[in-house]
Amino acid sequence: MSVSFKSVDHLITAQYRQEQAMLEAFANGSYSVESPYVKLNPYIVCPLSAVIMFNTEEEVEVTLTVKGKEEAGNITHTFPKTKEHRLPVMGLYGDYENTVVLKLSNGVETEVKIQTAPVQDNIGKCTYINTTSEYMQDNIMFTTPAGEDYAAGYDYNGDCRWYLTEPFIFDMKRLKNGNVLIGSNRFIGKPYYMAGICEMSLCGKIYKEYRIPGGYHHDQFEMEDGNLLILTQQAGAATAEDMCVLVDRNTGEILKSWDYKKVLPQDKGKSGSWSEHDWFHNNAVWYDKRTNSLTLSGRHQDAVINLDYETGDLNWIIGDPEGWPQEMVDKYFFTPVGDGEFDWQYEQHACVVLPDGDVMMFDNGHWGSKDPAKYVLSKDSYSRGVRYRINTEDMTIEQIWQFGKERGAQFFSPYICNVEYYRDGHYLVHSGGIGYYDAKPTQVLPAFLDTKDPKTKLQTITVEVEDDVVKYEMHTTANYYRAEKLKFYHEGTNLELGEGQLLGHMAVTEEFLTEVPAEDTGLLLPEINEGKFINEVDRIIFDAKFERGQLVMLQLESMTNDDVHRYFVPTTKQTFLAMCAGTFQESDERVVKFNVNKEGLSGIFKITVIVDDKKYQTGVVVNL
Amino acid sequence: MIKEITNFEEFNAVANQGKVLVDVYSKTCGPCKMLGFVLADLEKDMPDAVILKVDFDRNKEIVEKYDVASYPTILLLQDGEEVKRLKGLQQKPVLKQLLEA
Repeated sequence: MSVSFKSVDHLITAQYRQEQAMLEAFANGSYSVESPYVKLNPYIVCPLSAVIMFNTEEEVEVTLTVKGKEEAGNITHTFPKTKEHRLPVMGLYGDYENTVVLKLSNGVETEVKIQTAPVQDNIGKCTYINTTSEYMQDNIMFTTPAGEDYAAGYDYNGDCRWYLTEPFIFDMKRLKNGNVLIGSNRFIGKPYYMAGICEMSLCGKIYKEYRIPGGYHHDQFEMEDGNLLILTQQAGAATAEDMCVLVDRNTGEILKSWDYKKVLPQDKGKSGSWSEHDWFHNNAVWYDKRTNSLTLSGRHQDAVINLDYETGDLNWIIGDPEGWPQEMVDKYFFTPVGDGEFDWQYEQHACVVLPDGDVMMFDNGHWGSKDPAKYVLSKDSYSRGVRYRINTEDMTIEQIWQFGKERGAQFFSPYICNVEYYRDGHYLVHSGGIGYYDAKPTQVLPAFLDTKDPKTKLQTITVEVEDDVVKYEMHTTANYYRAEKLKFYHEGTNLELGEGQLLGHMAVTEEFLTEVPAEDTGLLLPEINEGKFINEVDRIIFDAKFERGQLVMLQLESMTNDDVHRYFVPTTKQTFLAMCAGTFQESDERVVKFNVNKEGLSGIFKITVIVDDKKYQTGVVVNL
Repeated sequence: MIKEITNFEEFNAVANQGKVLVDVYSKTCGPCKMLGFVLADLEKDMPDAVILKVDFDRNKEIVEKYDVASYPTILLLQDGEEVKRLKGLQQKPVLKQLLEA
């Protein structure tokens, strides 16, 4: 058989099935607090988590402690009174017999041993940590993928206490209900577009996947009413990463959208990584209630822009005015003031509007100029966290704080990264995209380096500064998109049982209108193409290998009438000037992955493939 | 009418007269092959339209004159002057609209 076909459940379905099996096993056994039911990795994707279940005759509180390798490593949480105890356990160590202590409010105390497997290889390893347990307490520094290494969480000692085994990527933020929002693990298109975002418990359970027709990239933001701002683009459009949508938290429907093409020229203020397709490269969104506005970072125009939330009108632009039309410079740009040092940001990430209206961001400093003649080499570059104070009355800007420039190229990340604001003077600066080749700062983006080459070295440096004193510094062996300090447990419901929800919808996949004249060989797709079809709840993924430049057309031919749905499958090698998550790069450039979304399709179809002038059967029939 | 161009002079002779659609393509490119079928289909609907096919690798003077950096690229010319440029594979309605505009 030269073509394979398999159906794969959505993770929400697989997790629910496992949860039901778990509950059934618990119901059929005789478990007690002395001998509770224990399930390691209950939600499939989070191997350093577990669930402990038991019932008590009386309502009692339970204080659960995952014992650290030393006392400072203890992670403790008290669950509210109940008779039915379904306790998520988070923060286990890998390759270790963990001890979990359960202390009931009626005085009963017991210990549970949980043996874990070694942490998998594609998790960044902490190579340096400088902090104290007093400072970090039971906080965990979570990092999210920018490459082959998956999301992970590290304690005060640099020990990995959490990781995911699926590529959930980009931003991870805690929601008001205590869950986290993170990019979905379902890749939909190059270079790094995902089906949407997931609301997840830190024990790996997905409560909701919000699907976005144009896909998700980079960042999201929870509004005060719980609705979600999500970065996307118009499905099938000629340009990318230039749109934000507001999504209903309960239904997943899109309530409002902002298209930056309406307010910005696409060919002005170009950064060194600009391209016609990815002209803005929106990598962050922030809503500011005080001014009822959206602040958006556009890497490829070296610009942080502010839009009126209601009208979408442009209010201001933070950035080097070189290369912009004078009428825009006069109207929207700021003039630096003050006696202190001032530098514009280049190819920045993660803009944050502070309570007083100041704007912080990670200034990657990539290229270091708008003028190609003045581009700065990596070895001479710097990255930093920076805080600007803006005055929108007289359109002036002052740099009031920065961290990182003084470290030079050793802190230089040409891509990704973030800053976090805790209070005035207390910040996180995550330089997550550092790369060396042959001991020199790489001139190409680290995402494009061959990690199997011994001369390649990737690094993250995550720093927390409090009143100009470095209180925390961690280095890892990966590139990580962002870092976010969170506690495992929160005051809300740490684990809700029941099936998760798939919300929103995928786009209708664009069909090709022209028929390709091809000889019907009657044969199966040749083995050399290694054709595979993966059937998911909302899409069919075609995964195969073709030589560059071959004409490939995927066809869904109705079994009941003459309808044919035709999809052009690109085989051209694409070159990207940005690769914020190299997680889905293929080492074999013949690999083609093409999605046909089920949205808008109905009927029974056989799937055929045209390769150049020949049509092949696949033996695959789908009922949609 | 679809005409395969073989040299600069031949191109100029046709391209400088009225509205002309130029398809700059490469034989090694999947989208270019597909665009070839789209143009053949378009020709059936618009037999009077002038469509010139220019092989990117064999017509450097044309490529340089119009500063074409990638293929497929569609150029709409009016008396030899570029009026509109589309990059990448296009569907028939888009091209039809372009010629009708």
